[in-house]
Amino acid sequence: MPALPSRGTTPGPPNLILDPTGTTTTTRAAKPKAPRARRPASLRGATVGLLVNTKQNAAPFLDELGRLLKERYGATGLMARTKVNFAQPAPDELIKEMAASCDVIVTGIGDCGSCSASAVADGIAFEASNLPAAAICSDAFGVTADAMAELRGAPGYRYATTPHPVAVLTPDQVRERAAQVLDDVVALLTA
Amino acid sequence: MTHTQAPDPEAAQAAIEYCYAQGWSDGLPLVPASQPLVAEFLATTSRAPDEVIGELEQVGRDCTVYLAAVNAAMAGCLPEYFPVVLAAFDALMRERAARGGGWQSTSGPAPMIVVNGPVRHELGFNTSGGAFGPGFRPNATIPRAIGLIVRNAFGIRPHVLEQATQGLPGRWSICLAENEEESPWPPFAADGGQPAGVSAVSATLLRTCEFVDNRHTPDPEQLLWDIADTISRTGSLIFRDTSAGVVFCPEHAQMLAGVGYGKPDVQAWLMEHCGRSGADLRRAGKNGLRGIARFADPDESADDTFTRILPSPRHVPLVVAGARNAAISMVVRVFGEWSGTATPVEQLPAARERPAVGLTP
Repeated sequence: MPALPSRGTTPGPPNLILDPTGTTTTTRAAKPKAPRARRPASLRGATVGLLVNTKQNAAPFLDELGRLLKERYGATGLMARTKVNFAQPAPDELIKEMAASCDVIVTGIGDCGSCSASAVADGIAFEASNLPAAAICSDAFGVTADAMAELRGAPGYRYATTPHPVAVLTPDQVRERAAQVLDDVVALLTA
Repeated sequence: MTHTQAPDPEAAQAAIEYCYAQGWSDGLPLVPASQPLVAEFLATTSRAPDEVIGELEQVGRDCTVYLAAVNAAMAGCLPEYFPVVLAAFDALMRERAARGGGWQSTSGPAPMIVVNGPVRHELGFNTSGGAFGPGFRPNATIPRAIGLIVRNAFGIRPHVLEQATQGLPGRWSICLAENEEESPWPPFAADGGQPAGVSAVSATLLRTCEFVDNRHTPDPEQLLWDIADTISRTGSLIFRDTSAGVVFCPEHAQMLAGVGYGKPDVQAWLMEHCGRSGADLRRAGKNGLRGIARFADPDESADDTFTRILPSPRHVPLVVAGARNAAISMVVRVFGEWSGTATPVEQLPAARERPAVGLTP
């Protein structure tokens, strides 16, 4: 019999029922806690990075949020970038580029199985680059967003939600939604 | 097996319930995997148990040969099936959708695994009637093994990281062994670059299947129009391009081949004739294009334009499966696009000398 890698399972008697997951609760608990960026007291003078994930209505939603953050909270700069592959976390170069120019990040809209999870993963990655981030997901994807946060060492990571669905909204409705989530986004980004 | 050797049903039930309690099951009973059983699986491949055969970067999980073996054993595979499981998994990990967010997707796609070559008969695959199952151990347990790998090794579980809105019938249960004996065309694996006669596995992800029942026309072009009508439905159109394959029954394939159609001819015909008018697309709210995504554009100027939807032969994979007893074929809707490759099944020299599986008690 070839030697079997334990992959976190405890060696036991030959008739032990084998674990098909390759994980144990011990290794999960040992995961380092993801860092959280320091929050500024306000957004006055801040450059806001908008990371758009190409989902329908994500661009106008984030554009409107950016406009409101300037108009109502004194942000002075906006930098919009697009994440081409919405299913995957943002590439490192994109995180670095935005971290170099921005003070805070708004990312979204997580409104599908993979993109809601990856929006939260992006938020956590920005936090690790010391950028306060507000990820926005539709409220249908809370469980998967929370699961991703736990996988990334940030259990309980807070993000903003907007009611599902987002893709079918008219331009006026998108602006209305952006205004509704504005205070939550500011609360996530500031101390 | 004598009566005194019969296994203890209560011990078996307890082991099955133990697996349920760990959250490992797809809903059906699992075969509890033990080290001696998994060792038999690992003995069928030259690959090291700790070789990583798939990674999902976004969830920070990977799958090794060892974990694949544990899951294949739990799925009910025989050890002899394991090289096919590995080939199927390799083939799937070449699909962009499967490496990306496919397993988490709201669309809940199903792998479609196609097996070619002598391994079909060596392992006792069903190669004829009832191709989409159920009823045959290798056809049923190999795709189930893939599903368990996604669930357990990648940690993509329903309602958590797996967000299928409805999923689809046949998820984790579609494994076609091509009916090469009654197909007039080269095997599907040849379209994926493997020579005829080689045991190989191809795989892609499906969003659904829909039958085309056309038993009465002697005219191959009428058959193709019937298939084109099914492929051209607006419901599945979400991007500029789409991909739809056909799993032909032998009778339809033979009818087409009888008038000289090879696979490239069928693909070219479908690429030319599948599509919708701008007016049809607008009526369904899918006429506009933003990047590659369709949306409802009020612009009526393209109403009279016919829009084709299948951009290349690779977007029209053609397989022959099922019995020759009726003229019923299946349109299969591909999630994303097929990689266009087939993966050979590893066969260790020792394994060739083993008796055929069907002959062992």
